[in-house]
Amino acid sequence: MEIIVCIKRVPETADADIVIDRTGRDIEKGGLVFDINEWDNYAVEEAILLKEKYGGSVTVISMGPEEVNETLRRALAMGADQAIRLTDPAFEGSDGYTIARVLSQAIKPLSYDLILTGVQTEDDGYGQVGPTLAEILGIRHAAVVNQIEGIESGRTRVHRELEGGLEEILDLELPAVLTIQTGINEPRYVSIMGIRKVAKKEIKVLGLRELAMKPEEAGEPGSLTVVEMVSFPPVGEGAQILEGTMDEISDKVVTILKEKGGVA
Amino acid sequence: MEVQKEGFLQKYDLYGCFQCGKCTGGCPVSLKSKLNIRKLMIEALLRDNLGNVVQREELWDCTTCKTCTLRCPRGLEPMDLLIGMRTLLVEEGHIPKTAIEALESTYKYGNPWGAAKNKRSEWANELGLKVLPQGDQASNLYFVCCTAAYDTRVQNVARSLVQCLRQIGYDFAILGNDETCCGSEIRRMGEEGLFEMLMDQNIESFNKYDFRSIVTTSPHCYNTIKNDYAQDGLDVRHYTQVLAEAVEEKNPFSGEVRKVITYHDPCFLGKQNGIFDEPRYILQSIAGVTFIDFDRSREKSLCCEGGGGRMWVEATDQGPRLAEIRVQDAVEMGAEILATACPFCLLTLEDAVKTTGNEERLRVMDISEILVEAL
Amino acid sequence: MADILVLVEHRRGEIRDITFEMLMKGKTLSEKTGKPLTALLLGNDVGEMAEGLKDLANRVVLIEDPKLENFNSEIYQRVLGNVIEQEKPFLLFIGHTAFGMDLAPTLATQMKAPLATDCTDVMVDDDQIRAIRQTYGGKLNVEVRLKPAPCSMVTVRPASVSVEDYSLAGEITRVTSPLTEEIASKRFLEYVEAAAGEVDITQANILVSVGRGIKDPENIPMVQELAKSLGATLSCSRPVVDKKWLPKDRQVGTSGKTVKPTVYIAIGISGAFQHIAGMKGSGTIIAINRDPKAPIFNVAHYGIVGDLLKIVPALKGKISEAFA
Ligand SMILES: Cc1cc2nc3c(=O)[nH]c(=O)nc-3n(C[C@H](O)[C@H](O)[C@H](O)COP(=O)(O)OP(=O)(O)OC[C@H]3O[C@@H](n4cnc5c(N)ncnc54)[C@H](O)[C@@H]3O)c2cc1C
Repeated sequence: MEIIVCIKRVPETADADIVIDRTGRDIEKGGLVFDINEWDNYAVEEAILLKEKYGGSVTVISMGPEEVNETLRRALAMGADQAIRLTDPAFEGSDGYTIARVLSQAIKPLSYDLILTGVQTEDDGYGQVGPTLAEILGIRHAAVVNQIEGIESGRTRVHRELEGGLEEILDLELPAVLTIQTGINEPRYVSIMGIRKVAKKEIKVLGLRELAMKPEEAGEPGSLTVVEMVSFPPVGEGAQILEGTMDEISDKVVTILKEKGGVA
Repeated sequence: MEVQKEGFLQKYDLYGCFQCGKCTGGCPVSLKSKLNIRKLMIEALLRDNLGNVVQREELWDCTTCKTCTLRCPRGLEPMDLLIGMRTLLVEEGHIPKTAIEALESTYKYGNPWGAAKNKRSEWANELGLKVLPQGDQASNLYFVCCTAAYDTRVQNVARSLVQCLRQIGYDFAILGNDETCCGSEIRRMGEEGLFEMLMDQNIESFNKYDFRSIVTTSPHCYNTIKNDYAQDGLDVRHYTQVLAEAVEEKNPFSGEVRKVITYHDPCFLGKQNGIFDEPRYILQSIAGVTFIDFDRSREKSLCCEGGGGRMWVEATDQGPRLAEIRVQDAVEMGAEILATACPFCLLTLEDAVKTTGNEERLRVMDISEILVEAL
Repeated sequence: MADILVLVEHRRGEIRDITFEMLMKGKTLSEKTGKPLTALLLGNDVGEMAEGLKDLANRVVLIEDPKLENFNSEIYQRVLGNVIEQEKPFLLFIGHTAFGMDLAPTLATQMKAPLATDCTDVMVDDDQIRAIRQTYGGKLNVEVRLKPAPCSMVTVRPASVSVEDYSLAGEITRVTSPLTEEIASKRFLEYVEAAAGEVDITQANILVSVGRGIKDPENIPMVQELAKSLGATLSCSRPVVDKKWLPKDRQVGTSGKTVKPTVYIAIGISGAFQHIAGMKGSGTIIAINRDPKAPIFNVAHYGIVGDLLKIVPALKGKISEAFA
C-alpha cells in the first residue's frame, strides 16, 4: 500500500488578533503560531494506521517555504517514510485549482494506491484541493471521509460524513484521493526526540523546473480565481457586549435569562 | 514495542536493587494504585520484553514526589526508572490524551495551559514591573511560572508575591513574554526532548542579562532550574528562602493575622530540597498566628498528587484523593488556614476543600497571600 | 443560453434547504443580469419535486434515471458534464455541502471552469463574477474574482442567504439521461444513521455549549455545573467531540444537530459557519469568548468578552443565587 498525504502548515488564528497586511490581500503572519493543518494531522495519522495494517510506505508532500520542513519532519516522526517540499516564488498566489495542479505534477511520477488530504484547511478553507487533484490525476475520490473500513482487491469501502450525523458508505476503486475529516482517529503524540531522530532525513525539494511547469501555469497567472482584497466581516447588528465588573456582567446575564430564558 | 534493555539496566543500576521494598513502602499512591515501584524495579531487570512492563496505565499515577528514591538504602533512583519508562512511552506516542494537549501546548506556546505566548505577562499589566527584555535592569530575576502567569487563581499568588518582594525592598525584574515553561513537569511526564528544548531556551534568556539570583514562585521551577539545569553560577532560590531571610533581618510585615494556620510541605520544596524551616519561620513570625503542624509533616509529608504531570493526567486509581485526606486532617486539627508555597499544591488542596465540602471551615492560601494580609 | 443554473440538492426524497437558498440568490442575480434562472434536477422518479420547484425558477431541467437514485459524484459529473456542454450556462451554483464538496471541484476541473468555494455572496457586474468567501474560520472576508470563462462555478455556504417568497412560474423541460453503461468505479452502498445518544439536545429549552476554548477536559465539569444551575443541557462544538471529551450526540452544527433552544450560551466557540448553521435559530444567543473579533459575536445577541475560566464560575455563582 503506497500512500501519499498532502499537508499544509497553517497559522493558528482562532485565538489570535489578526491584522490585514499592506497588500490588502492577506493577513500579517508574523507573530502567529504555525502548526500542521488540523484536518491534515488526522490524514497523516490515518495513513500511518493504514501502513501499520497493510504495510507499504507513506510519503508526505507540502507546498511552502523552508519553515514547512518542520511540519514535514513532524509527519516523518509520526511514521511517514519520505517527505517532499514544493517551493518556488512562482507558486505565490495560487488558488485551490493551481495548488492541486502543482501537487499533481509532483505526484505523477510516484507510485501510489491512496492519496489522503484534509477536508479543508484552517486558513483558506477551500475544501477543493483533494477532489481537484483526483480529477487532474484521473483517479477516483471521496470527500469528507470519516471512516475507512478496509481495502481489498484494489477497492476500498469508506464512510462519507453527510449532514446531521448521517453517513453514506461508498465502495471505491483504487487509486483514489480521500479527503479526511477530523475525528476519524486519534492522532498520536510526536515527541521532540522523535523529531530529532528524523532531523537528518532528506526532504526532497522541488521547484517549478523540477515539476516541469511553466511560470504562467502557476501562481496567479495559472489560477482561475484571484484574490482581490480582504476585509473584516461586517459586524451587522452584532452582539450587545456586556461590560462592567464580573459581578455586574453576571447580574446582566441573570436579568437576560429572566426576561428571555423561561428560567423560573 | 522494542526496548534496548541493556542500557536500561545500567542507567538505573537495576542489579543493585535488593528488593527491600522501602520504596513502595513510602510511595503515597501505592496504597490505592496498582503502581508498585519495587516490582517495577525487578520486572525491568528480569522480563525479557521491557515493552510489556512499560505499557501500563498506572505508570501515569506516579506524582514524582521522589519519596522512593530518597528512601532507597542503596542510593538507587526508582523514580528516574519510572520517568525513563514514561520517556519510552512518549517516544512511541503512547500517552494519555490530556497529557498530549499539555505537551503540544508547551511546544507551541511555551506553557502547558494552552494559553497564548504573548499573554504570558498579562497578569502583571498594572503592576509596573521591570522587564528585562524591555531594557530594564535589576539585581534579581523573578521567574514567574506558567501556572502563576495564566491560572486565574494562582495569578493572585504572583501578585501577592510581588507585593511581598517590594515590601522587603527586593530589586527584581521579570522576563515578560520571553519566559518559557521551566520543563519540570514536562521532563517528569517523560518528554525529555521537549524538556531540553525548554531548558536551552531559558538558559539562553538567563545568559542575556545580568542578575544575581533567580527567585521562583513554584518549587517545581526552583527544583528543576537548580537540579536539572544545574548550571554553574546560576543562583536560584525559592521565594520562601528570600522572604524568610528578610523577615529574620527586620520583619516588615507588621500586621496581625489572628488565625490558626497549618502548613503543607510541597514535595518539591521539602522532601526534595530540604526547605522545611523557612516557610514555617515566616508563618510563625506573623503576629497573631497560631501555628500547628500536621502529624505527617516535613520528610513524612503527604503528597498532594499535583506533581509529575498529574495536573494533566487523571489517575487510574479509585481511592480517596490524598489532597482530600490532607484537608480532612487540617480541619480535624482545627486549622482555619491551610498554607502552602506551591501553585500545584494550592490548586489541588483548594479543589479538595470544595469536594469535601469544607469551604466554610478551611481556606487554602499561599504563604505570600497570608503575608499580604499582614501588611 | 447563458443561464444561471442551480443544481438542486435533495436526499431521501427531500429537497434540502441549500437549494432554496441558491435559487433565491440566483433569482436576485437573474433580475440584475437578465439571465434566466434554471433549476437543474437530477434523480430517479423526482417528477413531483420538479413540480414543486417550478415556481422558483424560469425553468426546471429534469433528468431522471434509476442510476441517479442516490447521489454519486461520478455519475452526477457524467450527467452534468453533458448538460453544461449543451446548456452552456453562465454560472452554476452548487451547495457547499457534503454533496457539493464531493462534486464541484472535479466537475469544475473537468469543465475548466473557475470555481470559488464556500461563498457567502456572489456579485455580477458586466459579466464579471466576483464572490465573497470567508477564511481563517470566518475571521476574514475575501473578495475573489473569477477569471472570464464560458462557464463559472460557485459553491454556496449553507444558511448564508435568507429566503423570501417569490414566484417565477417556470416550466419543466425533460432531458434524456445521457447515462448508458453502469459506472462501477464509485458505488453508493447505503446510508448509516447516527446512533441515538442518551440525550436529545434538540429538545432542550436552554443549551450551554462548550467549544475548544475550554482547552482542558478537566474544565468541562465547571461548565456542566453552570448548565445544571440553569436546568440547561450541555452541548458542544465539533472539536470537543473529535477529542472525545463529550459524546457525538452533544454536537451542534451541520454534521451534528440543529438546535433551536430558547437560550443558547456559547462558551469558547469561535463561530465557524458549520457551527452557526446548527444554532442560529436559537431564541437568545449569549456568547462568551476572549477574542472580541470571534465570528460568534456576529450572530450572538449578547456577548461577554473575556476569559471563560473567570466568567463561568462567576456566572454560576450568580445564577445559583438567582434561580435557587
Ligand atoms: C464538513 C465539516 C463539518 C463540520 N461540522 C461541524 C459541526 O457540526 N459543528 C461544529 O461545531 N463544527 C463543525 N465543523 C468544524 C468547524 O469548521 C470548526 O473547526 C469548529 O466549529 C471550531 O470549533 P470551536 O469554535 O470550538 O474551536 P475554535 O475555532 O478553535 O475556537 C475556540 C474559541 O475559543 C476562544 N477561547 C479560547 N480560550 C478562551 C478562554 N480562556 N476564554 C474565552 N474564550 C476562549 C477562542 O478565542 C476561539 O474563538 C465542521 C467542519 C467541516 C469541514
